[in-house]
This record gives sequence, C-alpha cells and structure tokens, in this order.
Amino acid sequence: MRLVIDGIEFGYSSTPVLKDITLDANGPQLLSIIGPNGVGKSTLIHCINRILSPNKGTVMIDGDMVNDISLKDLAKRVGYVPYSANDTFPLSVVDTVLMGRHPHATYKSLDKDLDIVYDTLKLLDIEDLAMRNFDELSAGQHQKVMLARGLVQEPEILLLDEPTSNLDIKHQMEVTRILRELSQEKNILIIMISHDLNIAAKYADTMIMLHGGSIFAIGTPQEVITKENIKAVYDVESEVIESCGRPHLIMLDNDFDNIDHPLPEGTYAVREKK
Amino acid sequence: MEGKQEYYKAVRKKWMFILICVLLIVVALVFSLSIGMYDLDFFDCYRILIEHITGNITDPYADDIVVFTRLPIGVFAIIVGAVLAMGGAVMQSILRNPLADPYTMGVSSGALLGASIAIVLGNGIMPFFNDSWVKIIMAFGFSLIPVAVILMFSIKRRVTATKIILIGIAMMYIFSAIVQLLMITASEETLAEIYSWRVGTLALTTWDTIPIPLGISLVCGIILLYHHRRINVMMAGSRSAHSMGVDPDRTILVEITLVSLMTAATVCFTGTIGFVGLVGPHVARLFVGSESKLLLPASAAFGGLFLLLANCIARVSGEYGLPVGVISAIIGCPLFIFILIKMRRKSAWN
Repeated sequence: MRLVIDGIEFGYSSTPVLKDITLDANGPQLLSIIGPNGVGKSTLIHCINRILSPNKGTVMIDGDMVNDISLKDLAKRVGYVPYSANDTFPLSVVDTVLMGRHPHATYKSLDKDLDIVYDTLKLLDIEDLAMRNFDELSAGQHQKVMLARGLVQEPEILLLDEPTSNLDIKHQMEVTRILRELSQEKNILIIMISHDLNIAAKYADTMIMLHGGSIFAIGTPQEVITKENIKAVYDVESEVIESCGRPHLIMLDNDFDNIDHPLPEGTYAVREKK
Repeated sequence: MEGKQEYYKAVRKKWMFILICVLLIVVALVFSLSIGMYDLDFFDCYRILIEHITGNITDPYADDIVVFTRLPIGVFAIIVGAVLAMGGAVMQSILRNPLADPYTMGVSSGALLGASIAIVLGNGIMPFFNDSWVKIIMAFGFSLIPVAVILMFSIKRRVTATKIILIGIAMMYIFSAIVQLLMITASEETLAEIYSWRVGTLALTTWDTIPIPLGISLVCGIILLYHHRRINVMMAGSRSAHSMGVDPDRTILVEITLVSLMTAATVCFTGTIGFVGLVGPHVARLFVGSESKLLLPASAAFGGLFLLLANCIARVSGEYGLPVGVISAIIGCPLFIFILIKMRRKSAWN
C-alpha cells in the first residue's frame, strides 16, 4: 500500500493548523508522528481518513483520492484508533470490537465476523476479556480492545492517535512492539502519534517530526532524533545516545541540573510503615 | 470455537428477557380486559375473547365491552409504550446521552401545542374534519416541527448530538410557553380539555385509532431495527463512527426523523405520556446491555408491558380513573430507582 499526501493545508477559521504537508509512505511499516502539543499531529491523521477535509492539497491511497472513495470503502482500507474511547453506554468487549466489522458486515456475516473478532482478541492475548464489559477494563486493556477494533476492519493503513498515552512503561512497550509486529505480519502501514520519543525511536521504522504545522524532519529514528532537532522543535536541551542501534534521548535541564538538589533526609522522607 | 459459543449463549439469555416481557404482555392484556365498572374476571375475559374469535357470542353486552371498548385501549397502550421506549433507546444511543428521549426532542410538547390550538380554535381551521381528527392532525403536524427545524438547521450548519438536544429543549420551552399562553386565555371547558391532553390518556382509544399509528410505527420500527449496526457504531462517538464507515451527521438526521415520525403518530392520539421513553430503555439496558439489536426490541417489549400495566392501575385509581401519564411517572420512577440500586453491579448503564 502507498499513502501519498500532496501539499495539504488545514485550518480552523483564520488559524492555520497544517501547512503544506507532503509525504509519500510505502509498504508495511510503523511510522511515528511526533511533535509538541497543538502542532497538528491529530489533525494530520484526521485528514488522512477524511474525518477532516483539508482546505488545500490531496490525500491518495494506492492512487485513489480519498475524497473519491465512499465512506464505507474507505473504512475497509483505513482503520482508526482514537485517543480515548466513548463509554457512555459500554458494550461487552466482543460487541465493542465487532463494531469494527461494520464496513464489511452483511446480515449473514455475524458468524464470520465473530471468528475474525475472536482471532484478533487471541492475537492480542485478550481473549479472556471477551465477555467483560468495556468499562470494567484497565487502561492497558482498553487500548488493546480499541486496537482490536481497528484491526478487525482489516485495513491497509491503521491510524492511531496516541495509543500509549495512558499506559505504564511496560504496556507502552508492549503495545508499540505489537504494532511493529502487526505491521509486518498483517502487511499494514501503521501511523502512530506518540509523545514518548524514546518509545517511538525504539520501535518505529520511520519518524515524522512536526513543527508549527509543517514537517520539520522525516526519516529513520537516527535521522530525526538528534539533539539539534529536539532543541529546535521542543526547545529542550538533550543528549542522544545509542541503545541497541536506536537513538535514546536523555533530557537535560541546565537551570536545574547545574545546582545540587540533595534528597530530603530524616523527617522529610516518606518511608514504608512497618 | 468455545468463545463464540459463549457469546451466542449470552445473547440467547438476553433474548429470554424479551420473551418474558412478551409473555407478560399477553397475560397482562387479558387481565386488563377484566378491569372496569362492568365486573368481569380474568377467565370470563378469556372466554369472551375465544367466543368472539369462534363467532359463538353468548353475551353481546360483555362482548361489546371487552372487544370493542377495553381491548383497543390495551392494544394501544402496548403500541404507545413500545414506540416511546424504542424511540428513547435510539435517541440515547445515537446522541450518546442518557437523558435523551422523544420528550427532550420536543416531539410531545409539539403535539400538545398542536392539539391545544385545535382545542381552542375548534374545527374552524379544518372544516372538512370533525373536532377529534382536527386535534390529531394538528398534533401530528406540530410534533414534527422540532425535527423539521433540525433538518433545516443541518442544511446551513453541521448538526452535532449536543446541538440537537439543545434545539429540542429550546423548542420544548417555546411550545410550553405558547401552551401556557393559550391556557391563560382559554375558557374553563377548553382548559380542562387541554389539561387532559397534557397529562396523556388512552381512555378515548377505539379500534379506529389504531391502524394509522400502528402502520407508521411498524414501518419506522423495522427500519430502525435494520439500522441496529450503525446505531451501535454511533455509540463509539462521531469520529470513530466516521472511521468505521458511518456518516454520523446523516445517521443522526435519519434516525431522529424516524423516531419523530413514529412518536408523533402515537402521541397525537394520546397526549404527552412521559417517563416511558426516558426510563424504559435504561431498565432494558440493565437486563440486555446496550447492543442495539437486543436493546431496541427489549425496550419496546418492556415499554409496552409497562404502559399496559400503568394503564390498568390508572383505570382503577380514583373515582373515575386517572390519566395514564400520571400513573406511569408515579410508579415508574420509584421502580426505576429500586432496580438501579438492586442491580448496581451491572455496568450496561454508565
């Protein structure tokens, strides 16, 4: 599959959010979009699956303009995992994931759809949650269920809006590793927004760094995660070391780091009660 | 696959709730025939019905009371309850709001305004129809005004769930204010008629009442059931629905138009009957969850049963019976709170 974004621009009334975004993404890979808050990361992925319509420019999937694809057909090709799930009326995990089969569903397809749902739950190792209610799950389990809902759409491109934002470090690594493996196993282009630069750099094949609504840097993690880029985009001093062939960022705060900050002793310390 | 069998088993268990409600409706319907001034017991009513079906009528007076007076009221109570509760379930799901129902959409208050105008002006506004049909036609027409406003609004601007609820509530206040104004200027006799319409009653139902609301409700209800998957997807939020191939704005407009049509077709005959549309779906959710394929029929079955029973109580209350709208609220609210406390472990309702 091939995603081509050609010069898209988007803005809310007079405030521009995206400016002249152009990129060409090919084949199965994990592509991570990074950048500070409000830089247009979510807006960019919403323009890819037509939740938002760009004011200018085009988005093409395998040569087809997304605006020319019917909404149902687009849902068969592009899946989406939102930042947070709406659980006003929570369903069971199976019914929640089954929603993702909507673009493929016919009135006789329930049995086949259930097979796909259960296979996906098994793949993500959450089969035991199948009959639980969505609001009874932990944040990590929520995220996996939402991921399963996106996967059962059997998309060529899967968009994820901060899928690891509410997770502890173990689950952040687990979910991102699963995404990387799935991109190869299922032949999917996975585009993930992330605020954790080290997790993104550890698992992503390609990274896009946004700044001021434009692409500031694009390439391999080594090309994108440099102390110069971090300073320019986040205004943060850093050191970048290499770990297992991947860049690893150590943040520095010169104003804080240059002074000793001894840990509190005695009465100030909180200790475990025996 | 074991997991799949477990899923089907859970679904079958939930269908049992619907089946039980339907069986109770049948029993309660025959029971409702025995309630009234003319003394008949449950088995008399059963016998009279059988005699009527076989054409072997032994007591024409009892036959007339049971088949032509009480039975249409019972049947219409089931239809109205089912329509209001199913409409409430659809509205709550697509707008993702537990407080949404046909009432908050302004459908019922629109019907009240239409009927009030007809009561005040008489059949002078439609000379070809008699008084009661003028009232029904006006109520039907006015009850569709809120959805017409929303549809017109959608041409110019994007309609979101919140905007729809706000428009509905605004319409409800406008309609209520105009009704108040009419009531201030109305004569004592007119005032009494508007009042009886306002609290909702089934007492005037005959067999002639039923075909139009039944026909419209059946068509709208079947289409809504056919749309159960997209109603489910709407519960995920409009962005997620869009990404799963459902146009959220169009779906909201289509579904609320269907709900408004079937609600208007029933409340224009009965007046405003509250509570069922709001709480019926929540009670059904406690038993079958929020999946629309089960929730819609379960809400309809529970709503029908509830209003039928409320109507039985209304008819034996007071010297001449009480309006069913009053009884449905008086017994329904405590019942709902009791069920919520008893079944707090259930998280089908968040």
